[in-house]
Amino acid sequence: MPKIKNVKELQSVRNKLLNDRKKFTATLTVCGGTGCRASRSRAVIDALRKELSGQGLEEKVYLRATGCHGFCEQGPIAVIEPGNIFYCHVSPDDAREIIAKTVLQHKIIKRLLYIDPVTGKSIRTEAQIPFYRAQDRQLLSQNKQVDPRSIEDYIATGGYTALAKTLSGILPDKVIHEVKASGLRGRGGGGFPTGRKWAECREAPGDEKYVICNADEGDPGAYMDRCVLEGNPHLVLEGMMIGAWAVGARQGYIYVRKEYPLALEHARIAVQQAKAFGLLGENILGTSFSFDVEIARGGGAFVCGESTALMASIEGKVGEPRPKDVHTVIDGLWHKPTLLNNVETWANVPAILLNGSARFAAKGSKDSKGTKIIALTGKVKNTGLVEVAMGTSLYTVVFDIGGGAANGKPVKAIQTGGPSGGCLPADKFDIPLDFDVLAEAGSMIGSGGMVVMDEDTCMVDVAKYFLTFLQDESCGKCVPCRLGVDRMLEIITDITEGRGKPEQIGLLEELGQTVSQTALCGLGKTAANPVLSTLRYFREEYETHVNQKQCPAGVCQRLITYAIDPEKCTCCGVCRLACPHQAVRGEKKQIHAIDPVQCQKCGICKSECKFDAIQVN
Amino acid sequence: MLQYVTLKIDGAEFRAAKGRSVLDVAIEYGICIPHLCHIPNLSDIGACRLCIVEHVVNGRSKITTSCTLLVQEGMVIKSNTEKIKKLRHNLAELLVAQAPNSRAIQDIAVRCGVKKVRYPFRNNNCVLCGRCVRVCNELFHANAIGFVGRGKNRRVAPPFGVSSDLCKRCRTCIDLCPMTIIPCDGPMKTGKEYLCGKCESQLLFADEYPDTCVWCQLGEGFQCGRY
Repeated sequence: MPKIKNVKELQSVRNKLLNDRKKFTATLTVCGGTGCRASRSRAVIDALRKELSGQGLEEKVYLRATGCHGFCEQGPIAVIEPGNIFYCHVSPDDAREIIAKTVLQHKIIKRLLYIDPVTGKSIRTEAQIPFYRAQDRQLLSQNKQVDPRSIEDYIATGGYTALAKTLSGILPDKVIHEVKASGLRGRGGGGFPTGRKWAECREAPGDEKYVICNADEGDPGAYMDRCVLEGNPHLVLEGMMIGAWAVGARQGYIYVRKEYPLALEHARIAVQQAKAFGLLGENILGTSFSFDVEIARGGGAFVCGESTALMASIEGKVGEPRPKDVHTVIDGLWHKPTLLNNVETWANVPAILLNGSARFAAKGSKDSKGTKIIALTGKVKNTGLVEVAMGTSLYTVVFDIGGGAANGKPVKAIQTGGPSGGCLPADKFDIPLDFDVLAEAGSMIGSGGMVVMDEDTCMVDVAKYFLTFLQDESCGKCVPCRLGVDRMLEIITDITEGRGKPEQIGLLEELGQTVSQTALCGLGKTAANPVLSTLRYFREEYETHVNQKQCPAGVCQRLITYAIDPEKCTCCGVCRLACPHQAVRGEKKQIHAIDPVQCQKCGICKSECKFDAIQVN
Repeated sequence: MLQYVTLKIDGAEFRAAKGRSVLDVAIEYGICIPHLCHIPNLSDIGACRLCIVEHVVNGRSKITTSCTLLVQEGMVIKSNTEKIKKLRHNLAELLVAQAPNSRAIQDIAVRCGVKKVRYPFRNNNCVLCGRCVRVCNELFHANAIGFVGRGKNRRVAPPFGVSSDLCKRCRTCIDLCPMTIIPCDGPMKTGKEYLCGKCESQLLFADEYPDTCVWCQLGEGFQCGRY
């Protein structure tokens, strides 16, 4: 491929690609993201490709393996155009039928259609699925249109137009002005105004500057950055290029965590392709702008998602945060001004420059603009990646998109923002998805993970889970995070194991506040959030644990006992055989009973019993 | 030529050379800000967090460590507000519960008003202040010890866990270690989570003259920097 030398050539390459693709009468899009790969989507793609070549349809049907579509629990997902037909749980054996019936004859295969768990009806097209319908998919919808391994796909769908437009006429100050006007705020968790960060970096003294893309997303249950970088790496690259042009950087880094091998691979391919096309390197598109990107692979430490720790890690040092009394936009990587943004933030940039800031700012609430990708997990009917406009209420996310509680039990709370976020009770679901409003309520958007919890979830146990995670992931440099989190976990373990004292709740709260106010980095400053927010909204649960030594949700093992309801027991003996500790007593046709001394409270009997006869007290 | 800036600490104006930290300036002028991991003339890492102060910017106060905060013209610092005192108290309490066998840490606890410790004692011999590591690496360039592990497993160790010729046996690390000063009344004991009578008598003095150096034992051999 000869290098693209100017904007005109980019346009002619695009026209040629579009012309070449006119021969295709149908497009088969199969998700090849990590989620669908786990449910064997690669085998589906191979089977479809084999089938197409076997029937000589390669020149007529365009088979595209894309990044994540967001509806991961339904994977592997296939979408057939024209018709927008949506098939879920596709297996390799379905390949022949899909091509013969749907692609060639436009007939629907009923068994592959999605069935709405709320109404029980099957749905034909992607656009009609409630999960997608209630969303506003600005970034995620692009995943479907491009093969992440193909720069041609990206260019054909209008990629790098924003870069061309920027380089051929928008001066850096104007770029920054546009980003400021759009109201875009950092999507990585902090919500810092992106335009202001860019302006500070541009004004910082020094000729050598860097831009960094932070793809070290470590929150349990959150994977939107992975999905964007994996599904549309060129979009992120284009955003970075515009950022580099705006602040005057020549070198960029994408810091990807090691646990994202596919994102790493796709980012590497994208950089290679962009170099081959002349979109990275010297004198990009015939201008004086030169820019190169290197991929840095993280080692798997959560704390390396913190900007200063990430920079230390790129420099080859131990990934530990350092004090940020001087901001990284002035003193960052190699002590040079550095512009660091999250994957999703970068991905939002091209559209702002291409369509104007007003269009971006039209969506969202007063101080939070645009859309946000959320990883919706937990006890809801539909889980997956959701993109909604800022300002959408939590209720819409949980009930309209998520479809409400999974097993009919009432939803109790939602945990937002991962380990740094907090838990909000169901009566707060009317609050909008907004950086400031959520922070005021004691939680945060964070990177965008949302875990829905029902009555079976013990909030003390949730706080304990996140503290355990943070204790493992704390770098151990500063006292409040290393010792404070450790002591909080010690107290909360006491509470869940029935050794809690009433004064410990107050101590826990005081310690939490100390940690959040004095810790060195963002990890420590937010580490107490899970405890403080559960204490704020679910204090009575803590009190029940401490005063009555009971766990209302029946989760904390030391505080519960298992018993068999004699009225429901059918004497089938399943629990007796399943119990690894021989704690279930009783003969055939005789009501069973659990020996409280032998019982280790593993809960196996409860999960095995088909008659719901095992009770937790 | 040295450039000077004027800043306010606790209401008093001070003139200080540019590039110095707030903690250095405060100590020089006799304002006692408790600190542990700071050693004069070595880099500051802000690990112990004891030297936190309120930095007032545009009417909003930010809590940050004074050792890593460089002086700026017109800066307003509050080192001894009720909020700071409480946070410092809680940090010192965490430290003394972790390592109750050090005179230096007991003194810091006294200085910060800790009378009773609300956590069970753990008889650890290291609070990971990093004084030894920095003096070895920065002053002597020996790199004989460093931090190993993360979080709870973080510890100070020689490379690959075996002592090597990198160590010149200069013993400076031991001189600077807060654990090497013997406590006045022996180690504190589990179940007796309070400071001994001798330590507590110092508290009166600390209460009476807030903001000034109480000449706690911290200075002796520990290089507080006040001499």
